[in-house]
Amino acid sequence: MKKETKAAVPAKPKVAFFDLACCEGCQLQVANLGEALLDILGAIDVVEFREVMSEKWDKDYDIAIVEGSITDAHAEERIKKIRARSKILIAYGSCATIGGVNGMKNGFELDEIRRYVYGKDYKFFDSAPTRPVHQVVKVDYFVHGCPIYPPELIEVLKCALRGIPYTVPASPVCAECKLNENVCMYERGISCLGPWTKAGCNSWCVNNGNICYGCRGEVKNPALAAGADVIARYGLKAELVKNKFEMYNKCKEGDADGRR
Amino acid sequence: MNYHILKKSGLDGFIRALARKMKVCAPVAKGYGNYAFEEVSSAKDIALSYIPTILPPKKYFMPQRERLLEFDISGEKPAELAVVDAPEMAIFGVHTCDLAGIQCLNMVFSEKPADRNYLRRNEKALIMGLECNGYCDGHASCALVGAHYPNGGYDLFFTDLGDRFIIHVNTQKGEDVAEGLKLPRATPADMAALDKVREEKRRVFQNEIGVDPALLPAIFDRGMEHKVWSELGGRCVSCGNCTNVCPTCYCFDMADTINLDMKTGHRTRTWDSCQLENFAVVAGGENFRKLRAERQRHRYYRKFKYPLEKFYRFFCTGCGRCTRTCMAKISLKETLKALAVGHGGRI
Repeated sequence: MKKETKAAVPAKPKVAFFDLACCEGCQLQVANLGEALLDILGAIDVVEFREVMSEKWDKDYDIAIVEGSITDAHAEERIKKIRARSKILIAYGSCATIGGVNGMKNGFELDEIRRYVYGKDYKFFDSAPTRPVHQVVKVDYFVHGCPIYPPELIEVLKCALRGIPYTVPASPVCAECKLNENVCMYERGISCLGPWTKAGCNSWCVNNGNICYGCRGEVKNPALAAGADVIARYGLKAELVKNKFEMYNKCKEGDADGRR
Repeated sequence: MNYHILKKSGLDGFIRALARKMKVCAPVAKGYGNYAFEEVSSAKDIALSYIPTILPPKKYFMPQRERLLEFDISGEKPAELAVVDAPEMAIFGVHTCDLAGIQCLNMVFSEKPADRNYLRRNEKALIMGLECNGYCDGHASCALVGAHYPNGGYDLFFTDLGDRFIIHVNTQKGEDVAEGLKLPRATPADMAALDKVREEKRRVFQNEIGVDPALLPAIFDRGMEHKVWSELGGRCVSCGNCTNVCPTCYCFDMADTINLDMKTGHRTRTWDSCQLENFAVVAGGENFRKLRAERQRHRYYRKFKYPLEKFYRFFCTGCGRCTRTCMAKISLKETLKALAVGHGGRI
């Protein structure tokens, strides 16, 4: 097994938050942490965070926390620079970890979608197929979710501060959903992506009456045949479920093994 | 021990009286044909006629997520403090399948080293059973394992006699409650009515799979290579629902969480499932049950073979939850039937 050789971080590490193509909703989750934010600020020194402060930092970062996907040459250049200046890089939010909704663009011909968005002068606007951060630079930690589940971000941050790995659960959302004793969405006659989506969010959406949209990415080893079986059993169309899944997961096609 | 009588019109007063003293939990309708044990304050909250709840009442003795320990590593020597939250509580309306489940877990957690957290909570609970006069639905297989009749594991046990409940008192704790609420003793006529219910049940509840349970050990002995396991493996999505809802599954994972001060923290125990991909992964990355077929087979052997050798009973109580909750509709009854084919053990 790979030996963990993460650079030890100083007592009060310099931490910066960055955003690429995203809605900045994950940053909002951080800003909205409430009391926990005070504890975090006691443990780290935030040196850049555009959403909440105007200061900038010109030295290296102990930890960079990056939201958003890479969708053009400028972003690629920027993330490479951030990576070069950071000891540890945490990708957070679906856009950064799996491409998220930005990945839907990859289902179209690039010029077609550029013309659709920018009109006839689209050539003046640079654009590239969407990539999550790990498809461009090395990522040390992943915090999935749209938006991130705040308690998980705190756990990952603590792992980063201690230089130990964080393991994203390999099990599907159902495993946590059942512990929360929710009535299964399929029993309600509603299709839900929980069976194919990585856990770790404490079935946040289903707890609040919503379905799972697959925002944390596909489980490591999905049961493809069984999945088709379930889809058929509930009278659903495989195409419908695939489309639903692609809302967040189109970019997984860009991973070497097809998934992450 | 004694039998007491509670008029159905008196149930609300009974529940309210208990709820004044302690937390009372009972099956509550959650919609879409689902039920869950939840805190209640009066009888109108309770679903007296219910199919097994999403999670069995084991959640009250081994919570889904449980804090076991608090620690502080700032000093020269780490300090730790074991914690257990075991409130006095009453659980009403526990079916015989779930009472059997609690009995199984009592054996598991009493083994040395005894699990104090589980046992403390179990001791603090007043367990009130409720008889099923008929089947909850077609997924149950309680008669196969003999869990359709009461067989201990409760303080009080309620049987519906139409306009009243007859209550069997099984412990001193139960007797204190019945006497404290001045419930009248059952009359010979009540006892005759109870006998009639039991007699009728003998007719209604029949071995659900047509296989003699005495042959199941032999069937499982020869079943390791049976094709039914690969068939199950092809259908299983590995969501862990079947084990989470099982009244006798008790596997858990433990993890230490440190607070942001990087000094203090706590140890949490969370339910785990042998059906999940990483359950049997060990250091070095080896996975001892890599295939879904192996994991499903393991689950069945953990119900019908291994516990027999250790605890001399099946660890399936026939509640039917695993079948009901399965996304892929993997049926326990159908699996057992398929496994028994060709064995010549049909009734």
